[in-house]
Amino acid sequence: MLRPVEMSRVVVAGSNKVIEPVIEKLHDLNLLHVVNYSGADESFEMGKPIGKASEYAEQLIKLRSIERYLDISDKMPDKQFPESQVLSQMDGILGNVGDDVIATAERIAVIDNDVKVKQDQAKSLKPLAGLPLDLELLYGYDSLAAFVGTAASPVEADVSKVSYVNEVFTASSGGANAVAVFVPVDKAGEVSGVLSEHGFSEISVPRGPTGSIAGAISTLESDAKRLEDEKVTLQKRLKDIRAQHEDIILSVDEYLSIQSQKAESPLRFASTDNAFVIDGWLPTDQYETLKKELESAAGGRVQVEKLESAEADKLVETGEDIPTKMQNPSIVRPYELITRLFAIPEYKEFDPTLLIFIFFPLMFGLILGDVAYGVISLIVMFMLKRKFRTPGWQSLINIVIIASIWAIIFGFLFGEIFGPLGLWDYIFSGAHHVGLLGTVADPHHVGIDFGAGFYGPLGRIGPSGLSGFAGAMFPMYRLATASVLVLIGVSIFIGVVHTGIGSILGVKTELAYGEKRHAYYERLPVLLFQVFFGLGLLGLIVGGLSNPLVLLSALVIVISIVMMIKGPEGVMGATHIPFFVSNLISYLRLLAIGLASVGVASAANQLAFYVLMPMLSGGAHEGFTTIAIVVGIVVLIMVHFINLLLGILSPFMHPLRLHYVEMFTKFYSQHGGGVEYSPFGRVRRFLRD
Amino acid sequence: MVVEVIVDGGILYGLLAVGAGLATGLAGIGAGVGEQGIGAAVVGVVAEEPGFLGKGLFLMLLPETLIIFGLAVSLILMFAWTPFA
Repeated sequence: MLRPVEMSRVVVAGSNKVIEPVIEKLHDLNLLHVVNYSGADESFEMGKPIGKASEYAEQLIKLRSIERYLDISDKMPDKQFPESQVLSQMDGILGNVGDDVIATAERIAVIDNDVKVKQDQAKSLKPLAGLPLDLELLYGYDSLAAFVGTAASPVEADVSKVSYVNEVFTASSGGANAVAVFVPVDKAGEVSGVLSEHGFSEISVPRGPTGSIAGAISTLESDAKRLEDEKVTLQKRLKDIRAQHEDIILSVDEYLSIQSQKAESPLRFASTDNAFVIDGWLPTDQYETLKKELESAAGGRVQVEKLESAEADKLVETGEDIPTKMQNPSIVRPYELITRLFAIPEYKEFDPTLLIFIFFPLMFGLILGDVAYGVISLIVMFMLKRKFRTPGWQSLINIVIIASIWAIIFGFLFGEIFGPLGLWDYIFSGAHHVGLLGTVADPHHVGIDFGAGFYGPLGRIGPSGLSGFAGAMFPMYRLATASVLVLIGVSIFIGVVHTGIGSILGVKTELAYGEKRHAYYERLPVLLFQVFFGLGLLGLIVGGLSNPLVLLSALVIVISIVMMIKGPEGVMGATHIPFFVSNLISYLRLLAIGLASVGVASAANQLAFYVLMPMLSGGAHEGFTTIAIVVGIVVLIMVHFINLLLGILSPFMHPLRLHYVEMFTKFYSQHGGGVEYSPFGRVRRFLRD
Repeated sequence: MVVEVIVDGGILYGLLAVGAGLATGLAGIGAGVGEQGIGAAVVGVVAEEPGFLGKGLFLMLLPETLIIFGLAVSLILMFAWTPFA
């Protein structure tokens, strides 16, 4: 499970006469990861497309533009169609329906343009609405110069000064003074100067409309309105077409994609005048199937051969990538999303998905650790699961579902339902509760008194007599000093195990690549350093400086540092030590973010039950009034809602970081990412056999 | 009289809490300043090449360790180090 599927290098060679059945079969089997022919060999050249490749490509282009106009994007299929039905409907879709869609969409584009022009014209004419002139009188003179626009102050007197012959019309509407000034052409320059002194700004009169200005404006506006109405019906038509044909259009898309993929595939093969050669990788255990199927499809006129691993290795050395197919049980598979987000593992590397499956939900649960929050997130995720059905979303939702279950388990360990139970206990039973701040006199017992309380006769379970805990350990009140100390230890412990596994895998990976020096002097010392750093801390806490564990750890740490210095990086190798220490300290976030979230939950409860409700009930600590209870509950819901949102986001991001930064750096993706196994073929989603 | 005030456990505890708050808060500001540049760059790269998201996240989350250092100091101050036990 930690390794990708074992692959073999295969060569398929045959006569050009059987290339079509071979391609057909290969595509159906969906097994062979084809290695594109690089053109390096002079005796071979690239193959040529077979069949109606260009026709399929053209049809696909038309179909894709129809999809774009209809706003259809890939989705999970609601129903499937047999290939014969797709073939019979394809002409209709690409013909009548398609032409209709394209014509409608183009008409909408024209309408959009017209409406914009008309609205612009109406808007520019508005200031002129009061002028007692028809539109066609405002332009088109040979001997007259016309100035039409708005002015800040009256212009008539000044215009008369420069041009005795003039005609000035004015009107004011909507806060703007409209003017239309007509003067002989030879006075135009001077008049223009005069007008600009009065803050004249010209309005270009649209040439289309005629008649009175106010009438033209209302015609333009009603035209725009009419066009908008037409657009609405056209859009509705597109929507109807979409609703009626969406699935069949997507199946035609799938059919055409498959056909064009097949027709163009010879471009990836090496070929001569009479024969073709296909190189590729496939899972070793599928080799016999491929051989048998291809030979029967081609009537024996094809040769399928597996390369010996030595020969395959030689090809890898010349730069060919072995494709990686991750192999995980179905419950682990959603976590491949997290692996993939970082990088596809290389063929010789470990696939960390299983480790993510083990540690990620554990960390999420440890941080969130609240029964109610866990249940709510579980319910929400199950609701989202029906809504978002694409594989990516499904993986993400499954990740959170598994993690939420851990959050519920830790919720029981921590005794938290919407915050610590200690508080609820006080509220519902009136039992003794030590407040967070009531401890200045005795800081050692911050909130330790958890009470027998909510768990009732069950009481508390687990090891008893731990320092600071009155009774047994669980449910553990996370905000208590002793719990914080225990959780610090737990976090660092998880860190040591987590990074330790990473380092072990690192050693093995380096060995797999034949890098012994890197394995023993770069990866191994890190493992020793971090494990014994953790052990040393433990020794210090348990027995102080003279504890034999501390002495042993110190010795091993010194040895590991010496090993690092002897390693490939020399003294520089030892400069990474602070990074290794901070790796471990980084795991404190498991405790810290959890504390923050309990803190907010606890504060919300205290605010509602200790502050708001008593305040609104006139200071009484019992017998709250209705309004006090309502206000208190509203506040509770609001704060818990926000806390829950943050409480799902950060427990997701931070374990992600712990994996990417603290763990993956030890072994993963050191040699660059791998290539994902993507066999020649296509999973049919809309088409049915 | 000054001595008397400082010896008072309550004040000492308060100062301890202020110190712990500063340790986490200032470290948080530092990490934020560190992350802003990286974050902007990562968003830019991801817009061009979505496959870079994972590696981008990795780079963006690197400075976050700073807060955890501050937090570790706070935790020690608040819970582990008890000068007036």
